[in-house]
Amino acid sequence: MSREAPRRWGERPPEQLEKRIVIGPEGEVIARSGKVEYGQGIRTGFRRIVAHELRLPEEAVRVELGETDVVPWDGGTFGSMSTQTDGQALRLAAAYAYQLLLERAAARLGVAPANLVARDGAFHATDGREASYAELAAQAPLAGPLPAAADVAFAPGPDFEPEPDRVEARALVLGQVRYPHDVRLPGMLRGHVLPPPRPGAHLVSLDDTAAKALPGVVAVVHEGDFVGVLAERREQALQAIQSLEATWSDPEGDAEPPLEAQLRQDKDVEAALASAKVRHEATYHTPHIAHASILPSAAAADVRKDGADLYVATQRPFGLRDEAAAILSLDPKDVHVHPQQMSGMYGGGGWGVAALDAIRLSQAAARPVLVEWTRAEEFQRSAQRPWLDAKIEGAVGPDGRIVGYRSHVRTNPHIYASGRVPPEVAGMTSGRNAVPPYDLGQMDVSLTVERAQIQTSAFRSLAAAPNVFASESFIDELASLAGVDPLELRLRHATDPRLRRVLETVGAMSNWPERPRGDGHGFGLAATIYHGTYCAEVAEVYVSQSGKVRLGRVFAAVDPGRLVHPDGARSQIEGGIVQAMSWTLFEETKVSDGRITTRGWRDYPIATFRDAPEKIEVRFVYDMETPSTGIGEPGSVPIAAAIANAVCAATGARVRELPLRPARIQKATR
Amino acid sequence: MRYELSVNGQPHVVDVPAGTSLTSVLRDDLGLTATRLGCGHGSCGACYVLLDGSAVASCTMPVDEAVGHEIVTVEGLSQDGHLHPLQEAFLKEDAMQCGACTSGMLISAVALLEENPHPQEEEIREALSGHLCRCGVYGRIVMAVKEASR
Repeated sequence: MSREAPRRWGERPPEQLEKRIVIGPEGEVIARSGKVEYGQGIRTGFRRIVAHELRLPEEAVRVELGETDVVPWDGGTFGSMSTQTDGQALRLAAAYAYQLLLERAAARLGVAPANLVARDGAFHATDGREASYAELAAQAPLAGPLPAAADVAFAPGPDFEPEPDRVEARALVLGQVRYPHDVRLPGMLRGHVLPPPRPGAHLVSLDDTAAKALPGVVAVVHEGDFVGVLAERREQALQAIQSLEATWSDPEGDAEPPLEAQLRQDKDVEAALASAKVRHEATYHTPHIAHASILPSAAAADVRKDGADLYVATQRPFGLRDEAAAILSLDPKDVHVHPQQMSGMYGGGGWGVAALDAIRLSQAAARPVLVEWTRAEEFQRSAQRPWLDAKIEGAVGPDGRIVGYRSHVRTNPHIYASGRVPPEVAGMTSGRNAVPPYDLGQMDVSLTVERAQIQTSAFRSLAAAPNVFASESFIDELASLAGVDPLELRLRHATDPRLRRVLETVGAMSNWPERPRGDGHGFGLAATIYHGTYCAEVAEVYVSQSGKVRLGRVFAAVDPGRLVHPDGARSQIEGGIVQAMSWTLFEETKVSDGRITTRGWRDYPIATFRDAPEKIEVRFVYDMETPSTGIGEPGSVPIAAAIANAVCAATGARVRELPLRPARIQKATR
Repeated sequence: MRYELSVNGQPHVVDVPAGTSLTSVLRDDLGLTATRLGCGHGSCGACYVLLDGSAVASCTMPVDEAVGHEIVTVEGLSQDGHLHPLQEAFLKEDAMQCGACTSGMLISAVALLEENPHPQEEEIREALSGHLCRCGVYGRIVMAVKEASR
């Protein structure tokens, strides 16, 4: 780890103005963050925040993200936290910079600050004299530790335009945005790696005679268990890989014991469960699924003796920089990470395995190398979302109140290659949202985290989506057993006013009391509080005789606190709903004998235009005074349970295992 | 092998191994990287180009078969800095997140509106159904195509 990195998990280094905001000699404003953009619109949000505080038009601000040479250290772009953490830091930095500039202008013009007006990058006095930001910034560096928020005056407002264009939008429709796949460096070769068939397998023998004889092949690289090829063209590198004859050992068994964590333990849970009129138990299962980015992973590396440049798409630029430095025996400051546009990775973009391929091949070749994975490699070399089992027991008393809830969750690590994590970290990741957001009487929620046969990693919302599928399906089952309306039962146990508000709102949006039921047509409800964002969703489904589910309308009521970019937030909620309905109806990574056997879109179908909901209605209910919380993940969290609950309302079939395949629904209907 | 191609109204000569895919020629030999390589099997739609006005997968098309046809990529949709009406509509509806599928979507949408200037929603969904979007912006893309068809 380099010096600026914090030492403890979750800690952030102190904030310095000069690392955040720079005003150049022409008055150009650069705002910097270690977060990265992958379609979630943070560049646009950050630009608005900074421009607003500096009283500048948005076009006057340029946002630099993830360039490790210049941006402040950052742990990674995860957990819908960018606006919450870096958005706040940039707001504070911009407001402080404005305050310093205003003080300098007042001194220079001999006018009280209150008599100066900021406009178009300059302070104007009533007598027509002015001082530009550029000249004031040139006077002395704009630098120093950021003060506390309470000691800075923020710009009034915000009076944001409702729908700005995203900063990258024009370049995206022109096809000018550059992904790692599009990087072309002088003298660049194309590389490909032969991965071991299972993690931890060792190379026993290698015959590269045929590969070396192929046209365009420059070299076969063979160092220990690392095997790769370098060629002039992409197809030639791929063909050479397919011509290698390699045998591998079986990996040694991993005897690591599972990790146990208690997430909540109230008193007398068994007594509460035993006392009730209605007692119920059910087990839910969600399988491994793939991030399934549209473009397979790619990375370009230019490794030299004295340094390296990495052109990558990563959610973790500083983590990758430090790993590369360790592999190459370089000082981290000599490794320069240049984030390119990322084909959406939804939590799977932190680990840069393609970048490590490119680094090793470029080091061996002493030339720049671009590595592009194939579609099959993207499925087979990527870490997958953990599977999750939840066994839940609950009981409803004679007054229709839930008096006890016990849940045991078994799943795999949500942090890639992490080794052992402390139990509290396991609770925050693999146990995320395992404790329902309601007052359910006496509660006992526990967690077991064990290694899967394959590598697992973070995925949008970590364990929250699977956990909420289980708990919100279970709440509906209790409602049915107790003969209470599912919305009414939730409201009865929701004590948090913001949770009640999103539930009531989605009920009104969907005209819940009048909803159709039965004959293959039904509505289902689910809700969550995810990292401070409140989200309730209703799904309408049509289920055919053969058990095929089609989505009608989806309604979402969301409370993310102060909204910076309403249309961007709406797009994130809509996208989360569509992606998660795809997980729910279609997706499962196939694993056999410790290997992923899924190869392509034909055996891993995802939702298409034909499957997407007829219509998605999103309503934000929020207060501008409540600090912003994330919107990248929450929309994806409740939808699986909403759909499963709707299928049950439509057909009577309670399916507790994803995906909701027609055969499973048919079987449960009978 | 030498091949003469017409791309975005310009003649090009490339020297590549026979059977090289049109995607590779566009991206690696002509530097036209707006055409994306997503799967290599014609099953995701990221690599679509216009071939004599029809939307086709370029990843499964050997360059040999592209000779003698007029190829248009996303780089050729805008004219003199003016966006194509579909590009304008995608901007207006913000019909993209990460952008990986956007080029292919635009190409098939252009072909659709050439053939059917005022499609119904079902026709739009059907025409674009070979294009996968992992960020889930399908609804916005449908809105953008409707917008451009007005």
